[in-house]
Amino acid sequence: MSESALSRPAAGVAGYQDRPHPDSLADILERVLDKGIIIAGDIRVNLLDIELLTVKIRLLVVSVDKAEEMGIDWWKNDPMLTVRERGLAEENQALRERVEELEGSG
Amino acid sequence: MAEQGRYLYAVCRGLTPEAVDGIAGLGGGRLSLVAEGDLVALVSPVDLDEYGEEGLRSNLERLDWLEEAARGHDAVVQAAAAIAPTAPTRLATIFLDDEGVRRRLREREDAITAALDRVEGHEEWSVKVLTRVPDAEPEPVPVASSGAEYLRRKRQEQEDRSAGDRDAHVAAEKVHEALVTVVAASRRLPPQDPRLAGHQGTMVHNVAYLVHRDRSDDFVTLVHEQSDAYPEVVVDARGPWPPYSFAMLDEA
Repeated sequence: MSESALSRPAAGVAGYQDRPHPDSLADILERVLDKGIIIAGDIRVNLLDIELLTVKIRLLVVSVDKAEEMGIDWWKNDPMLTVRERGLAEENQALRERVEELEGSG
Repeated sequence: MAEQGRYLYAVCRGLTPEAVDGIAGLGGGRLSLVAEGDLVALVSPVDLDEYGEEGLRSNLERLDWLEEAARGHDAVVQAAAAIAPTAPTRLATIFLDDEGVRRRLREREDAITAALDRVEGHEEWSVKVLTRVPDAEPEPVPVASSGAEYLRRKRQEQEDRSAGDRDAHVAAEKVHEALVTVVAASRRLPPQDPRLAGHQGTMVHNVAYLVHRDRSDDFVTLVHEQSDAYPEVVVDARGPWPPYSFAMLDEA
């Protein structure tokens, strides 16, 4: 049961207001920007702008401070990232040894 | 004082003014209803300095502004969806006055009515399936004895990772097959970027499910069962959401 992250207990389906966790910004943006009924308002919003914006969000073109403030701090504990760093260090070490070996034998 | 526009949150059926009393619109504006036939538009006044074409162009580029607007928009939509059939509109749908809103409702009445018919009595659930990230740090491995050995190891790591992703895709499909038995509709969404969503592991499945209110308990129970059945992945279910992903208009 602990394996799934349900946003509220399974017992009793309550109203929207009872959801204990704040929804992730990704979940909200994917719905309010990309879904819902699209009818033209009097104020013309350039949809291309919005699409560009979502691309920017995906690429996270925001400052580190801003992202941390929003609770986006994936780079601090992303195991993939640390594995990658480890991989690079390892590769570096292997290459250095190889160079020494070649220089030594030459 | 700046000119005011009408921000449209959603189109509903049978929503009464008392139902939205006490809920704040964007920027603290007071919510009101604009009726046209059976349709009721949920609107609030917004400052056109902020929500006019020029203002929006620069504000939409500001993540803090966007987040506040998106959360405010969603809060109003949720309040409406909790009490009446609701078709949310896309963020930043703005009219100059109530008559503009009415005109658009008249023009799109059939399509909006069809969308409301589809979502009435239903709510949306978001289910994501992610690969499980090992809790333990991997054992430190000795430095590769040669370039070839190093490359072989890299290849192995890559293969292990793709095999893990493949297994997760298979599990996600099984979970999906089980869930669709109790839902009215489903819609696949692109996997989210971990940098914005903050998750770990690879998101192999991001699907919105339209679930009838009477079947919500069944759905949640099923999610738990599926989660237990496939411990190799993380099943993350969130909801209920207003039916954003299913209130789409048919092409006019």
